[in-house]
Amino acid sequence: MNTPKVHLVDDDEAIRDALSWLLKSRGIPSCTYDSAENFLAAWTPQLRGCIVLDMRMTGMSGHDCFDQLLARGSQLPVIFLTGHGDVPLAVSTLKKGAFDFFEKPLNDNELVTRITEAMAQNAQQQAVNATVDSVNSRISKLTAREKQIMEQVLAGKFNKIIADELNISMRTVEVHRANLFDKMQVKTAVELANLLKPGR
Amino acid sequence: MLTLTQPPSTRRLRWLLALPKFGIILLLIAVIALLWLLQQNENEEDRAALIKDVLWLEQNMRFHLNSNEEQLQQLANDLGSGKEVKRMFRLRAGHLLKNTPEISQILWFDARRNVVDALPAATIPDGEIESFGPAVTQKAFEHAHRLGKRIYSEPFFLSGNAAHFEIAVPIYVDRAFVGVLIAVYPLDTLLGNQVPWWFAEKYRVTIVDENDIQYAAKSNIEGKPGLSYDIPFEPPGYGLKFHVTRYESNNNPLQRLLAIAIIVLATGVFWSLWLVRDLMKKRSHAEEALRAEHAFRTAMEDSLTVGMRARDLTGRVIYVNPAFCKMTGFSSEELVDRQPPMPYWVPEQMDETFALHQAVLEGKAPVDGFEITFMRKNGEHFNALVYEAKLIDGKGQHTGWMASILDITERKHAEELARQQQEQLQFTARLVTMGEMASTLAHELNQPLAAIASYNTGCLNLLENSECSVQEIKPALEKIGTQAQRAGRIIRRVHDFVKKSEPKRAPCRLEDVIEDCLGFIEADARKRQVRIECTLPALPMIPADRLMLEQVLLNLIRNGMDAMSKMEEQYRLLHISVQLLENELKISVIDQGCGIAPDILDKLFAGLFATDPGGLGVGFAICRSIIEFHRGRLWAEDNRQSSSGTGTIFNFTLPLESA
Repeated sequence: MNTPKVHLVDDDEAIRDALSWLLKSRGIPSCTYDSAENFLAAWTPQLRGCIVLDMRMTGMSGHDCFDQLLARGSQLPVIFLTGHGDVPLAVSTLKKGAFDFFEKPLNDNELVTRITEAMAQNAQQQAVNATVDSVNSRISKLTAREKQIMEQVLAGKFNKIIADELNISMRTVEVHRANLFDKMQVKTAVELANLLKPGR
Repeated sequence: MLTLTQPPSTRRLRWLLALPKFGIILLLIAVIALLWLLQQNENEEDRAALIKDVLWLEQNMRFHLNSNEEQLQQLANDLGSGKEVKRMFRLRAGHLLKNTPEISQILWFDARRNVVDALPAATIPDGEIESFGPAVTQKAFEHAHRLGKRIYSEPFFLSGNAAHFEIAVPIYVDRAFVGVLIAVYPLDTLLGNQVPWWFAEKYRVTIVDENDIQYAAKSNIEGKPGLSYDIPFEPPGYGLKFHVTRYESNNNPLQRLLAIAIIVLATGVFWSLWLVRDLMKKRSHAEEALRAEHAFRTAMEDSLTVGMRARDLTGRVIYVNPAFCKMTGFSSEELVDRQPPMPYWVPEQMDETFALHQAVLEGKAPVDGFEITFMRKNGEHFNALVYEAKLIDGKGQHTGWMASILDITERKHAEELARQQQEQLQFTARLVTMGEMASTLAHELNQPLAAIASYNTGCLNLLENSECSVQEIKPALEKIGTQAQRAGRIIRRVHDFVKKSEPKRAPCRLEDVIEDCLGFIEADARKRQVRIECTLPALPMIPADRLMLEQVLLNLIRNGMDAMSKMEEQYRLLHISVQLLENELKISVIDQGCGIAPDILDKLFAGLFATDPGGLGVGFAICRSIIEFHRGRLWAEDNRQSSSGTGTIFNFTLPLESA
């Protein structure tokens, strides 16, 4: 449904047309919006790809639009297009997490390259997001005791010590541990630790 | 040039005025002196006549008394010697009484003081004949007896207050005293008989003594007493005297009338002289004032830098002032009495000048003056501003035309300089505007350039792929062309705007001007997030300098956007409205900004006044001068319909027809 594409936001029709034509020449799909407001209206968390945002537009500026996107938790990489004199503004957006900025007139192939990189980053991000999502769903299937035991395991404690601390039998710990590993789809404690590292 | 004949000096005039006065005073004195002398003379004559008359009276009186005396003496002598004396006394005394009516009684006393006889007996004074009579008689008797000669008695009063006196004549017989003859004179009778009628007509005669006790009087006249003269009445003596008083008679009415006439005439002469003097004084004052006025006028005319030239109804020059001579270089003598063509007319423009000259003479000269080119004597041309006015003489008659002529060459030069400076300023202001908008314009220019670059890269990308078709590339190339044209338009607009050009008013469409302006301002407005709306009816072409109007509109729009920069975004609306009025266009630039304080509103167009700290401040002044160049008006007012509550409307008008 949401195929990755470049979301072009610029109030200048010529720029929109030229850039989409350029991207098309490199086989990159794009869709265009003539104002920040229209883009925000069309935005959903499921959008994939990247955003190319003009800094100076009628109505809402690119910068304000970026702030809105951050507030909504958008993870789409943003590449800003700026005119002369907007560089300090662009730098501040970079610090906020923008992917890159380009000054007009631009070296278009470089822009396209960065666009593909941004799209790749988004794709990777989506993959990671997918992992996190699955780990989270696995954790949600754990019982309270199993979560207790998982935390002890991640702390590197042996079954015996866990049994002592939780005041249960060694055998019970082993059963819970087996169930835990089963539910988390791991075979060893190390594997479990690796799985949980980026998410936590 | 008019000159007044030099009138006699005031001092001389005063002298001239004083002479007749002096003469008249002298004449009057002489007349009065003459009158006085005449009067004096008359009085003198009167006095002389009086004295003469009085002396005559006295003489006459004395003569009578003496003559009576003699007759009495004769009688006394006869009484002493003769016989039948008693009869003789009666005869002689009766005769005497008859001849001398002034004697009232004659008495004959003997030596023993008895009355021998008396005539008339009936009227014996002091009682009986036998008795001796009053003391006075006795005293006179005594004296006559003792001295042996005729004695006059003192005057005395008898019954009826009539005064009398007596004369006693002793009678001797052979040297022996035998008696006394006494004659009684009543003074009244004496005067009545002895003072003649003509005397009494003229004088009042009284007999008085030393104590001014009156004894008798005679007069036929009444009136005011005048001159008088006293003369002793002797005999009888005893201090008696005649007091003769002359009575004033209205004897000389003619003389008096003459005197009165002279005085009245003299007064009249004085009065008329006074009037004349007054008149002369007034005249002299008027003359002096006239001379002062004339001097003042001359000084004024000479000091004028405005040339004055008077012409009569035929166009002949009758007067030029020094300033006009200086202006043209011709002398007054060279110009006065000249008929057109005048020497200061420009030969090449002779016909036009003559036409104008004729128009002036026909009274068709423009009231607020006209400009004309004249030539100086040295051939140099100069611009003159001429005002013609009717020349009205003292009788209110139109006698010609008076022109005041201003040399406006300098002024024209200054105006030209000012205009050039104004143009320079406008040009500078345009550059400044461009400078301020440079960033926006750069962005604006970037857009097509960026698009071109993108299309270009896209095309190259496609060309690298050998399978690409011309059909794929062609639209991109076309779009590149479009964008290049777009960039070119922007650059041309900037170039036009800052291009230095002579201001000229050519027919142009206001819509185009506004469109151009909006093209300029669009990017800026976008940046400032200001919406611009336009209300444009169908408009005719107007005579205007497109660039200058653009400058004004740009300035006003930018100012409106500045004013709204601090307002909330929803209020940032700039409205441009154009109304087609009867003979002008009214253009309004309406903002909903912070508004303008009333005290600032007034000086807004004065120049070097900026509401924003960064502005040059000449903007509004330039706008105004541009609009005034187009013969329109520029003004600002509050925007009362603003949805933000504040705001300003800048209006300007442009005439539809070139004036």
